[in-house]
Amino acid sequence: MPIKTLEVIRKRLEERPAELRKLRESGQKVVGWTGYNVPEEIIYALGFIPIRIAIGGDDRLVEVGGRYASSKNCVFIREIVGVFSENEDPYIQQTDILAFDATCLQNFRAAEVIEYYFKKDVIVLGVPRNFYWEEGKEYFGKEADEFARLLEERAGVALDLAKLGESVALYNDIRKTLKSIYTFQAAKDNVISWVEVFDLIQAGDLLDKKEYLSLLHETLAELRALQHNPIIEVDGSEGRIFISGSLIPRGDRKLISIITSVGGRIVGDDIWTGILPHLDLEIKEISPAGVALGYLNRTPHAALPYLDLESDRRLKKLHELLGEFKAQGVIYHTLRYCDPFTFKAKETKDVLAKSDIPVLEIHTEYAGSDYEALRTRLEAFVEMIKIKAESAAEVIV
Amino acid sequence: MSLKRNFFAGVDVGSLAAKSVILEDGKVFATGLVPSGFDSVESGLNALNLALETAGLKKEDLTYIVGTGYGRVSAPYANKAVTEITCHAKGANFLHPTVRTIIDMGGQDCKAIRIDQDGAVVDFAMNDKCAAGTGRFLEVMAGVFKVKLEDLGALSLSATELVPMSSTCTVFAESETISLVARGEKPANILNGIHHAIANRISGLFARVGITSDVFFSGGVAKNTGMKTAIEEALKVTIVKPEIDPQLIGALGAAVLARNFSKKQGLWS
Ligand code: SF4
Repeated sequence: MPIKTLEVIRKRLEERPAELRKLRESGQKVVGWTGYNVPEEIIYALGFIPIRIAIGGDDRLVEVGGRYASSKNCVFIREIVGVFSENEDPYIQQTDILAFDATCLQNFRAAEVIEYYFKKDVIVLGVPRNFYWEEGKEYFGKEADEFARLLEERAGVALDLAKLGESVALYNDIRKTLKSIYTFQAAKDNVISWVEVFDLIQAGDLLDKKEYLSLLHETLAELRALQHNPIIEVDGSEGRIFISGSLIPRGDRKLISIITSVGGRIVGDDIWTGILPHLDLEIKEISPAGVALGYLNRTPHAALPYLDLESDRRLKKLHELLGEFKAQGVIYHTLRYCDPFTFKAKETKDVLAKSDIPVLEIHTEYAGSDYEALRTRLEAFVEMIKIKAESAAEVIV
Repeated sequence: MSLKRNFFAGVDVGSLAAKSVILEDGKVFATGLVPSGFDSVESGLNALNLALETAGLKKEDLTYIVGTGYGRVSAPYANKAVTEITCHAKGANFLHPTVRTIIDMGGQDCKAIRIDQDGAVVDFAMNDKCAAGTGRFLEVMAGVFKVKLEDLGALSLSATELVPMSSTCTVFAESETISLVARGEKPANILNGIHHAIANRISGLFARVGITSDVFFSGGVAKNTGMKTAIEEALKVTIVKPEIDPQLIGALGAAVLARNFSKKQGLWS
């Protein structure tokens, strides 16, 4: 049975660009942000409208971006640059200020290119290479203070800590509700799919935050009415897939559509445009540095070097999520020239092999030319984990 | 009292050839191999009809058909489609249950497949981004030397030396080969170099999936004895000898799966 609120959300997304235009005409400003560690709560608390500028899936725009960025920049970054060059995306057109972070240095490069060529007002948040050192934490706290100061300058008001507290509470509620909804997609006899939840998460990047939260509550209420007690359980014939690796931004549907078309059921992810950034974010102190510390204590991004595999929080979280969502295989997705995730592919595969979890690495870009080749790999992988699950079930029986 | 005989077919439509195998219970009953045309449905049917004709059977006599290869996506004659990776695993396991690693070199890609004792895939890697190690590449080389594709292996085994080849990209290798011929190098020695360059290149696939004995070599390129020897040297393994044409392994695996699926569905017992 279709979830009615999802339809409402789709409609609201169609209306949103025109709505943003009107809000800007009435004096409000839109901050387009991208980066794993950009503390959106600070942007919101200053009265800006935050929208996320993660767009992908269009090879033509990658080509356009390649005229400004290096051909060795990842396809995602080149597409973002291409989007600004063409300025036809209805959301990008509404941005007044841009906020990037330097978690991945390619993101930082995109900020430089967009500022230089397209004369955009860009703020960059510095990110330490090591989140575990005290010096790293101190540096990030200071960077968050400076980030807030630069935004204050543009907002023409000082950051009100009471408003920051409200913003943190709102975002916490969004994260908590998303997590509850996410459980439903992985459940037995699920009434909502991972793809629908993925779209729902990405809708939050663009909609008004308060409206988004109330739509999430409505979605959750609908789900609870349809399925009282979602239980996550393995059914031998499903092929439960977990997606890891590089981000999958709005507009990029290639991998997801192939997985579902070959009979795989996606039940979880730890990608930056999926559920991961919404997990384990605990803000203990209401201040820019306090918010920054909360971000810093989440699962770190693959771009931050960390060599001890035993204590790597990223791998620990991956294991935890695989267990929680009862995934049977991991599709580790890497985008062309996305070095952070490509370099971590081998170690991820080796670590998961120790737990007998099969991993398929898919290295791709936004061109459609590898569609059939990907299809064969993904179909074979889904067959492989289904056969494995079926024979395990037979042994148990 | 006459017991009903059960026949199962596998049809593998690849980029260069379409293959079919008919199994009767545990035995290969008939096979068919035809060049692939533009229409993959027609190619598959041609291969299947050839096997049916050889066997003296009609399509209605088949209990179940599994389609595989790139043509599996549109195979209306098949009851089910399965990837060639799973099929090669099953086919090799059917012939040699001790096989744990498969090298499959077909018309347009090359695969490394690791399997378990039941013929289930444990891990695999695939090279389809460049033509190195594929039938297409060797077809181009055969064209350069003006010999038949099937004669490349024997020719390279007559080499007295190995002329190092720096390129495995079809375009560059073709021009490099022409320069080597112009320099007076013997075709057999150049070919020996080409086979070793490809073998070294595909070793990378095995670095990813690992290699465990016994090793099986399937696909159309597996008929090239020069390539087989070069791979044995590069991977330091001995490749087991197949009882049937190695190009038929995908279709054989598909037929084995046809047998398994139809049994599971209760179509025979
Ligand atoms: S993490 Fe990868 S995909 Fe994301 S910006 Fe960096 S290089 Fe690009």
